Amino acid sequence: MKRFVKKNKFLVLSIVLLIILSIIDMNYTYRSLENTWNQVLSMLLIVPPIFVLIGLFDAWVPRETVIALMGKESGLKGMALAFFLGAFSAGPTIAAFPLAMIMLKKGARYSNVLFFLMVWSSLKLPIVFYQFSQLGFQFAMIINVTMFLVFVVSALFVEKLFSEEQLSTFEEKAEQYT
Amino acid sequence: MSTEGYIIYGLAGLLLLVSLVKDPAKTKLGLKKGFKSFMKLMPVLLPLFLFIGILLAVVTPEFISSLLGEESGVFGLVFGLGVGSITFMPPFVAFPLGRELLENGAAYPQVAGFLVTVMSVGIVYFAAEKKFFSAKSAVLRNLISLIGAIIVIGVVMVVYA
Repeated sequence: MKRFVKKNKFLVLSIVLLIILSIIDMNYTYRSLENTWNQVLSMLLIVPPIFVLIGLFDAWVPRETVIALMGKESGLKGMALAFFLGAFSAGPTIAAFPLAMIMLKKGARYSNVLFFLMVWSSLKLPIVFYQFSQLGFQFAMIINVTMFLVFVVSALFVEKLFSEEQLSTFEEKAEQYT
Repeated sequence: MSTEGYIIYGLAGLLLLVSLVKDPAKTKLGLKKGFKSFMKLMPVLLPLFLFIGILLAVVTPEFISSLLGEESGVFGLVFGLGVGSITFMPPFVAFPLGRELLENGAAYPQVAGFLVTVMSVGIVYFAAEKKFFSAKSAVLRNLISLIGAIIVIGVVMVVYA
């Protein structure tokens, strides 16, 4: 029992919350489950092509290529590639995690992968254009340019916060999950 | 399905076709690998959806607009950053909400803080991110984005002063 709770913290927390909400107002419970169902549906829709891409990437792209393009010595070229991969994408951030892991597994540099994740989360081109239409050019530009600069600066310096050992564990973890 | 959905399906389909023509055996291996990682990742991700479902039932757009309205001041700033950081919302819900807030007289900095964090900071993803990368990495990514949001608020305050 204890082990089950420890291993499934989120599930247990969610069920407890659902019970509390049911006591307050059953409508919340219905709405929660409806939301969950919609989330699962939209995830299942976006997930198959992502895993096809991951599988093909795994099979076709040799490790040496990834190291040359996005590895330790890839410099500005690696960052630019990470930016384009993140910007020309679709789907929620959580869909980017498996892609990030396969990059790490193939020897991409951590800072490039982190940059890719950050760009994916907020600077995806379809979203940026949508932002322009909803928020107006000026407001959207302030948000996007500022975030871009913050992401670039942090990608340049973030590895200084990690030891060599910590950086190498990312690759091992990625190996485990892909 | 959204346009982005079609784009990614198109891309995956096209590459799959090319791969099949070039080397069916290798393609099969690739698909097997993809499916394997799918099976490994889903148990981590599925409980998250239940949690997000509950969160979105309570933190509705109406709830957010009631607290981010006109003259919400410093409280509005903190609330916008907080609620944006915790929740996840699809862009086609979040941005129209931001626009509606602005049209109803909410101030730009509050809305900016909410929109930036709702996109880039994902505390609901933390458990998964920690498992896949590391706790330090997950904290850093979210923290960097939160700092970014605060800088955006600063810039917006200067520009729209």
